[in-house]
Amino acid sequence: MISLRGVSLVYPNGVRALDGVSLEIGKGEFVFLVGHSGTGKSSLLRLLYREMAPTNGQILVDGIRVDRLAHRRVPALRRHLGVVFQDYKLLTDKTVWENVAFALQVTGAHTRDVQRQVPRALDLVGLAHKSRMYPNELSGGEQQRTAIARALVNNPKLLLCDEPSGNLDPANTTEIMELLRRINLKGTTVVVATHNQAVVDRMRRRVVRLDNGRVITDEERGYYFLGLGQDQILSG
Amino acid sequence: MQATAIGTVAVTIILLGSFLYIRAAFVHLGNDVFSQIEISTYVDTSATTAQEDRIRTALARDPRVLSVTFVPKRQGLAQLRARMKGQIDTSLLTENPLPDKFRVRVRDAQEVPAVAASIQKLPHVQNVEYGQQVVQRLLQLASLTRRVGIAVIVLFVLVAGIIISNTIRLTVFARRREISIMQLVGATNMYIRMPFICEGLLAGLAGAAAAVGVLALARASLVPKIELALPWLQVNAVSVDVWALVLQLFAVGAAVGVVASWIAVGRYLRT
Repeated sequence: MISLRGVSLVYPNGVRALDGVSLEIGKGEFVFLVGHSGTGKSSLLRLLYREMAPTNGQILVDGIRVDRLAHRRVPALRRHLGVVFQDYKLLTDKTVWENVAFALQVTGAHTRDVQRQVPRALDLVGLAHKSRMYPNELSGGEQQRTAIARALVNNPKLLLCDEPSGNLDPANTTEIMELLRRINLKGTTVVVATHNQAVVDRMRRRVVRLDNGRVITDEERGYYFLGLGQDQILSG
Repeated sequence: MQATAIGTVAVTIILLGSFLYIRAAFVHLGNDVFSQIEISTYVDTSATTAQEDRIRTALARDPRVLSVTFVPKRQGLAQLRARMKGQIDTSLLTENPLPDKFRVRVRDAQEVPAVAASIQKLPHVQNVEYGQQVVQRLLQLASLTRRVGIAVIVLFVLVAGIIISNTIRLTVFARRREISIMQLVGATNMYIRMPFICEGLLAGLAGAAAAVGVLALARASLVPKIELALPWLQVNAVSVDVWALVLQLFAVGAAVGVVASWIAVGRYLRT
């Protein structure tokens, strides 16, 4: 699904966000990207939805060479992915329904497809009863769920989440992560960049740890902190 | 913000429209005046009838001449009396001071000076007049307005375009969050552009409509006043093709609106 080979990213101001990162993520996987702020988690995701192009290296997303993608093809790429952000990024002058529908409308979908798929997405996240409300009338958790519904409405194979629980309280966080788990069970590849220790430790999925722009560990059933992987139990 | 853009376009198009209208009026006036030009050929008062006939024949034979009308001095005096009624008591005249005259009309107004010159050469022709001053002035004015016209039009359109462009840029900037979200969701640039282009188009059309309204009002209220002040100008007789002008103004408004907003959005999307 995702393949990074020797990927480096140097920002115009000289900051080296990623340094020779190589990573493979298969279809249907659930992967956490962890590390301090500034270690390159968000940058890596940004490369995947082509917000930026890498300075070096090769990136493949579902067979597409994203690193070499022409500007005008980027919208098409993004329509095949779902991206969820820490600050939800909802359109404040549109209702929940309209926000989710928008992602469909930009692909030029017919109204009847919109009428069919939007409720489905809203049901998935449990917000069908609030479809007429505006983002500022919703709680943080509900807004994030709206954003997830929007990310999913095009049935993407890949869902990228950049600190999805960053602005949420523990209860909402649990809800959101549970939602992501269910989505993953249906076959969607899910990549979550986070610095939420509790979430990572609870779910025990593949954990890719970044530090200074490099991948330092990659564990199957990992913990947030180094040295606690491979089913080792924290004592004391 | 919208009001500013519309207002600007309106003002620009008002200026443009007035300018075009006046220019067209001048052209028409010029043409009308030209077509009315008569060369007044005053015959030497001592000329005999036979000599006058020879003048008439010579005039009639000139291919450039459209018509020749003879105005004997008696008729001339009667016309003068009628025109000067109350101002001069013509009964004081003991004899008719006026000469006989021929009123000569020419086929092509441009030929007037040349024809007048050749008439002057005919024997027993005392004086040839055709309002040289007026004609010369008008010709100069016409060519001047034509040249100035293009430059002015370009300038106006440029100014309106720049201002609309800046207004749209402000709008785009104000909505940059929405635009970036649209881009993240996978909207193409064209999709994002469209609403702004429409806004620009509407601003342009609205400005043009406002301008046309103002110009129409101005025309309706000013024309009677001009007619009173300068009756010889005959403004109403000037049949400027108003509908064509209105259409042109709307087209200009629309074009400026679309182009300006296209450029404004494009600049933002490219960064």
